[in-house]
Amino acid sequence: MKLIYRHLGAIKIVALLAFMVFVCLPLVQMTLLAFVATLPHEELEVGQATLQNFSGILTDPNLRAAFGNSIAYVLINICITIPVALPAAYAFSRMSFVGDKSLFLAFIAFRITPPVVLTLPVFQLFSALGIVNSVFGIALAHCLFNLPISIWILQGFISAIPREMDETAFIDGYSRPRFIWSILIPQIRAGIAVAAFFCFMFSWVEVVFARILTTTNGKPISMAINALFGFQTDIGLVMAVTLASMAPGAVLLFAMRNHLSRGFRIGQV
Amino acid sequence: MKTKDNSGWIFVLPAMAVLGLIGLIPLVTVVNYSFFEIFILSSRFWVGLEWYGELVGSARFWQSFARSSLFSMIILLIQIPLGIALALCIPRGRIWIGLSLVVVALPLLVPWNMIPTLWLSLLNPETGLLGRLGVVLGWPLDWKDSAVHTWVVIVMMDVWHWTSLVVILCYSALTTIPAAYYQAAAIDGATPWDVFRFIQLPRLQNVLLMAVLLRFMDSFMIYTEAFPINAGGPAEATLFLAVDLGEEIKAFNYGPSAARSVLYFLIIVTVAWLFTKAQGKLEEKAAP
Repeated sequence: MKLIYRHLGAIKIVALLAFMVFVCLPLVQMTLLAFVATLPHEELEVGQATLQNFSGILTDPNLRAAFGNSIAYVLINICITIPVALPAAYAFSRMSFVGDKSLFLAFIAFRITPPVVLTLPVFQLFSALGIVNSVFGIALAHCLFNLPISIWILQGFISAIPREMDETAFIDGYSRPRFIWSILIPQIRAGIAVAAFFCFMFSWVEVVFARILTTTNGKPISMAINALFGFQTDIGLVMAVTLASMAPGAVLLFAMRNHLSRGFRIGQV
Repeated sequence: MKTKDNSGWIFVLPAMAVLGLIGLIPLVTVVNYSFFEIFILSSRFWVGLEWYGELVGSARFWQSFARSSLFSMIILLIQIPLGIALALCIPRGRIWIGLSLVVVALPLLVPWNMIPTLWLSLLNPETGLLGRLGVVLGWPLDWKDSAVHTWVVIVMMDVWHWTSLVVILCYSALTTIPAAYYQAAAIDGATPWDVFRFIQLPRLQNVLLMAVLLRFMDSFMIYTEAFPINAGGPAEATLFLAVDLGEEIKAFNYGPSAARSVLYFLIIVTVAWLFTKAQGKLEEKAAP
C-alpha cells in the first residue's frame, strides 16, 4: 500500500495517458482512412494518400445540405431550450413551491426515457403538426432530453450565486422577470454557454429521432453518412465526413474547456 | 433557505408545456395503442392485455431482457469505477485540466451510427490498427463467430463511447470540494484512500446517481451502436431489448410495438425509482 501511495502521482498520469491512447485509437484509425483513397478513382489507386475525400464533401450537394441542416436544427434547438429552461432553473433554484421535487424528478424521467419508445407517436404527432422532414421537427423532438439536462445545469449555476443579490435587487425595485433579464443572465453567462454546449453535443450526434423524422428532406449529417453506405461503400469518404462532422464540436469543446467541468456542480434541487 | 413561493409554477410552465407536447402526449398515445389491434390507424379494435400477455409469455423477450440486464450491469461495473478513477487522475494546472477533458470528451462528438463503423474498421484484420495487432497476438479472425468475443467488442465500444461522460460529471463534483478540506486531511495525516473515502466520495454522491441513471438507461436500451457490430449474433447472443422494438416499429406493428414500449418504459422507470430510493437510504445513513 505504501509503495502505491509513494508513486500515486506517476500512476495517475500513466492511467490517464493510457485511457487517452484508448480514446484516440478509433479516431486515429478514422483520420488515417479519411486521407486515403479507398475506392479506385481517376488517376488514384486504392491506398494512395489524397485529399479527395474532403473535396468530395464540398462537391456533393447532399452532404453540403446535411451540414447546413445539422447546424440549423441544433441552433433552433438551443434557441428553444435555453429560454424555456432558464426560468424553470431559476424557480427550482430559488423558490420552494408545492410539488417542486416531484416535478424535477418528472423532468429527469423524460431525460431517461429511451427515444425508441416514443418514436412512433412522436412521428404521428409531428406529421399532424406538419413538421416532419424539417429541421424544426428534429429541433423540437430533441428538447425531450436537452431540456431536462439544461434545467439541471442552469439551476446548478444559479444556486452558486448568493441569494443576497436577488434580495438587494428586489429592494431596489426590480421585478423578478426584470431581475432575471438584466442581472441574473449576465452573471450566469458561463452556465448558459455550458448548457448550450451540452444541447449541441447531445443533439448533434443523436440518430433515433433524426432517422424517423427525416425520411425525404432535412437529413442531418448522421443520416447523410448512412446514405453513403451501399453496394460499394467509399469508406474513406465516410470517415472524412465523420471527421468533418466532429470539427465544430471539437472547436466548441476546446473553447469551453475551462467551464465544462462546472456544469454539474450541484446535483439535486 | 428558499422562499416559499408558489408562483414558481409560472416559471416552470413553459418547460412543462414543451415536455408535455413532446413527452407526455406521445407517452399517453403509446399506452393507448398498446391495448388495440391496429391495421390502419382509422380501424382498430380492442384487444385488452393480449399484446402484453404475448410478450411476457415469450421466451425471446425474457432472453433479451436477461442479456440487456447483464450488459447494463457489466457497463455500470466498468464505467462508474473507471470514470471516478479517471476523474481523480486529472492533474492540477489549468492547461492540463482543459487538455485532459477535451481529449477524454472526444468520443461524445462522434455521430452514434458511426461508432460501430469506426470500431469495425479498427478491428479489420487487414487495414485496422487493432485488427493487425490482433492478428499478431492471436485474436481470431472469425471473432464474429464467438459470442464472448462479440460481447467484448461491444462492451469495449461502449466503454470508449460513454466513460467520458462519467469522468466529466465526477470531475465537476470534485471541483466543488473546498481546499480547506484537503488541508485539514493533510494535518490529520490522512492517507489518499481516507481522503477519497471520507472527503471525495461523499461529494460525488449526487452526481453519481445521475451518472448511474444515464448510463443504466442508455446501455439497457442500446440500439444504434450494438446491432451493426454483429447483427445481434452469433445465434442472437447479442440481441438486446431495443432491437426487437426497433424491428416492430419499422414494420409498423402499432399494437405490439406500443405494448413493448410501455413495458420497457415501466422497467426503466422502476429501476430509476429504485436507484433514487437507494440513494435516499444512503443519505439517511450518512447523516442520521
